[in-house]
Amino acid sequence: MAVFVFIEHREGKLMDISFESLSAAQKLNDTVVAVVAGENVSDLAEKVAKYADKVIVAEDPKIDTNNEAYTRVLNELIKKEKPKVVIMGHSSMGMDIAPALSVDLGLPIATDVVKINPEGGKIKVTRSIYNGKVLADYNLKNADTYIITIRAGEFSADDLKEKNGKIEIVDSLLKDEVADKKFVGYVQPVVGAVDITQADILVSVGRGIKDKENIPLAEELAKTMGGVLSCSRPIVDYGWLPKERQVGTSGKTVKPKLYLALGISGAFQHVAGMKGANMIVAVNKDPKAPIFSVAQYGIVDDILKVIPALTQKVKEIKG
Amino acid sequence: MDVIVCVRKVPDTAEADVMVEKSGKDIEKSRLTFTINEWDNYAVEEAIQMKEKYGGTVTVVTVGQKDVEDVLRRSLAMGADKAIRVDMEDPDDAYTLANILCAVIKNQKYDLVLFGAQSGDFNRGVTGAMVARMLGIPHATMVNGIEVLDGSIKASRELEGGLNEIYEIKLPALLTIQTGINEPRYVSISGIRKARQKPLEVLTPSDVGVGSIEPMIVLDKMYMPPPGKLAEFIAGSPEEAAAKLASILKGKGVL
Amino acid sequence: MMEVEEASFDKLYDVYACMQCGKCTGSCAVSLRTKLNIREMMRIAILGNNDDLKEHEEIWDCTTCGICTVRCPRDLKPSEVIVGLRSVLVEEGEVPSTIRDALESIGNNNNPWGRPKSKRADWMNDLGVEVKNLSAGDEAEYLLYIGCTASYDTRIQKISRAAVRVLTKLGVDFGVLGEEEPCCGSEARMMGESGLFEMLVEDNLNLFNDFGISKIITLSPHAYNAFKTDYKDYKKRLEEEGIEVPDLELDVVHYTQFLAEQIDEGRLTSDMMNEFNKTVVYHDPCYLGKRNNIFEPPRQILSIIPGINLVEFERREDRSLCCEGGGGKMWSEGTGTGERNAVIRARDAGALGAEVIAVACPFCMSTLEDGRSTAGYEESMEVKDIFEILDEVLK
Repeated sequence: MAVFVFIEHREGKLMDISFESLSAAQKLNDTVVAVVAGENVSDLAEKVAKYADKVIVAEDPKIDTNNEAYTRVLNELIKKEKPKVVIMGHSSMGMDIAPALSVDLGLPIATDVVKINPEGGKIKVTRSIYNGKVLADYNLKNADTYIITIRAGEFSADDLKEKNGKIEIVDSLLKDEVADKKFVGYVQPVVGAVDITQADILVSVGRGIKDKENIPLAEELAKTMGGVLSCSRPIVDYGWLPKERQVGTSGKTVKPKLYLALGISGAFQHVAGMKGANMIVAVNKDPKAPIFSVAQYGIVDDILKVIPALTQKVKEIKG
Repeated sequence: MDVIVCVRKVPDTAEADVMVEKSGKDIEKSRLTFTINEWDNYAVEEAIQMKEKYGGTVTVVTVGQKDVEDVLRRSLAMGADKAIRVDMEDPDDAYTLANILCAVIKNQKYDLVLFGAQSGDFNRGVTGAMVARMLGIPHATMVNGIEVLDGSIKASRELEGGLNEIYEIKLPALLTIQTGINEPRYVSISGIRKARQKPLEVLTPSDVGVGSIEPMIVLDKMYMPPPGKLAEFIAGSPEEAAAKLASILKGKGVL
Repeated sequence: MMEVEEASFDKLYDVYACMQCGKCTGSCAVSLRTKLNIREMMRIAILGNNDDLKEHEEIWDCTTCGICTVRCPRDLKPSEVIVGLRSVLVEEGEVPSTIRDALESIGNNNNPWGRPKSKRADWMNDLGVEVKNLSAGDEAEYLLYIGCTASYDTRIQKISRAAVRVLTKLGVDFGVLGEEEPCCGSEARMMGESGLFEMLVEDNLNLFNDFGISKIITLSPHAYNAFKTDYKDYKKRLEEEGIEVPDLELDVVHYTQFLAEQIDEGRLTSDMMNEFNKTVVYHDPCYLGKRNNIFEPPRQILSIIPGINLVEFERREDRSLCCEGGGGKMWSEGTGTGERNAVIRARDAGALGAEVIAVACPFCMSTLEDGRSTAGYEESMEVKDIFEILDEVLK
């Protein structure tokens, strides 16, 4: 029996979620079969082979990074190979593909899974629901194949074991081009139109930044982290950042994956605007600052010392 | 453009303390407040803006018992023309729910079906795409921008890392809507009162024509996660603390 | 294009009597730092339909302090006209998203702060004093109405806790409503959501009636003003609409009035207090002062504290500079530029040598705490509610 891992890649690069999916698959102690589909993907397949027992490469220019095409290719491969489990990310791409596969093949699906527990031939999964406040175990209906999408960050790629599997190239499985859904292209959101409510990472500064001249330090950290710079109300009052960067009840309510509060004391009106963030990290000189009561991680220090150090470390990690 | 929007009523658990019932099958709901699912609210607003721009109708659909009707009334007050409620307990299983919604939608006239990209209670993010498959129409999930063309639409999908991808999709189609696509309007109390005149149709499962459906996924038990620590302080020099923080962020998949 | 219903505007606010003298704009607390020009708003109301309200985002800059109403030579109520114009926008759903979120939260959570109902009583944790809960069957002469901001805002919760300790020391027979305490709706009304306010009046009168409450002490001048004045008007409105409401006459006092009474009756005296050797300046809240002419009670309380050096702002009583906390301003930045009034206020206090700005309103606390930090008085000046000062000095 095999576990399929759908490998997500974009513009010639493997996505992190692909390695996490491989990690989830390895934990099931079965043959790990990675599926790499698309155009000019042989380089990627070699990188993936390191962590899989086998890599199936479906090279086909007709796929054209179209999620519907990927779905059809996967459909054919699943019918042919009958894997026990198909794993992919609960990513934007996974959300487009996985439910469609489930209906097309009549296979049970569990999405946004944080733990996979095989029990004999059956599969039980753990999901984190109600804003992460409750965990729930679900049994999937008995089937030959189960489709599972995993939550990012729950299956660490650090646990990956090397396998150095073989690569198998299959003939094109896509019969026709997809007629009713055409991929047009990737678009970077317009530069200049900063919308802090849509950012995954917010680097947010407060009074602790002390001087307008220090704003670029924080700006650089935000850029390095792939995030956007936001701030508390006084920074707007001082005229150091424009109004649309203000977080709080009278500014914007934000829910990023990471909110890094730098030199923000945590007035109630500010906290009310950012408490929905998945993860809050606060850096403040004052260990009693209220911001620490909503933060998961805290550093008690001068932000003007921490910001450059953090920028440096993030640069190192990101290579 | 005739648009159908599927909506859902969910408890607001962002800040409230959530406890699991003794049975382990549900959460204690008595002290929670319930509202329209945040993503669905954007979907309803998007549909109404399309109607204001291109004409046509907006129909909102939900599955649930009578107490969920307030989210329909609210959507009617926002500008929807008609509401449909399938009178039954909200099924736990997304596949079952998708079958019921498909059965309702296929008897309606529509060019576009909208869902919220996910719901704040179970964050499954599957129902919309499943319904599209059952209806046999193309779909796009996580849509954060729509441009209406002749017989088709251009949809922008939100990808990880701040990138969008654009698809051109033939109508009829189904889209699941990401938050932030628009700015939902305020619905005043007197607006909701006035919308009481608008039609709200209640259908039984047999009206809809769905029999019993074997669920794909069955809840075994709910339980509380291990208690999280509050503010773990990272010690050391600025360099040491920064290094530790960077590796934590990397480990949590946010970098 | 949105239409202001001409006839009803004149009927409700007598706007045809406006002679466009501009005294309202001249006196306005925010006209110097925002685009708001009340005279222009009055003209929109008079002309009825010739202007697109949506274009006037400055309508959300009004703090509803009421100074224009105090100054109007024709006895009109320009601040109420603003509320009426806002309600036209609310009906259309055309409100800033932050105002929308606050209003939705009042409807869903019974507070404008987006916080869950189940955490409304968190301010009482580890209080160390037994408090009666009138929603749990306890009986007391007075309800201490805490209000939304003093229930949830971590800084302002300290006022609620001080209030409970002070009233307990004075032997007052009072209770609170805990998690069941409702939003008074004052801010909903001022943001133009009269339908929501009407609903709250109906629900709250029933709730007070059910729990046997008729005497209320409020922490907030805004709640005081709503219970005292607006509830009466809206009760009448509900009755006219044929909705049954309990025949309940609310006996409402702001806590400064209540404490001044205690002084008059000899139950609160200087002998009961330790010295407070600080220079203190009292900031008049608009909803106590301009709107309800309550100037003396807070001053009376402060003046009997031994050792206190009480100084006065030049702009005080009905000329007090609004802190910009009311009228929905907690949820809207508006068009304001330049220094906030609260910063100006903190500087004025600094010039007087004040070590403490004494306040009697949760919103004033919130804005002045911020103004004090911005003005650079973080180390040298404090903002304290009168209840907090009493809590400190009472033996």
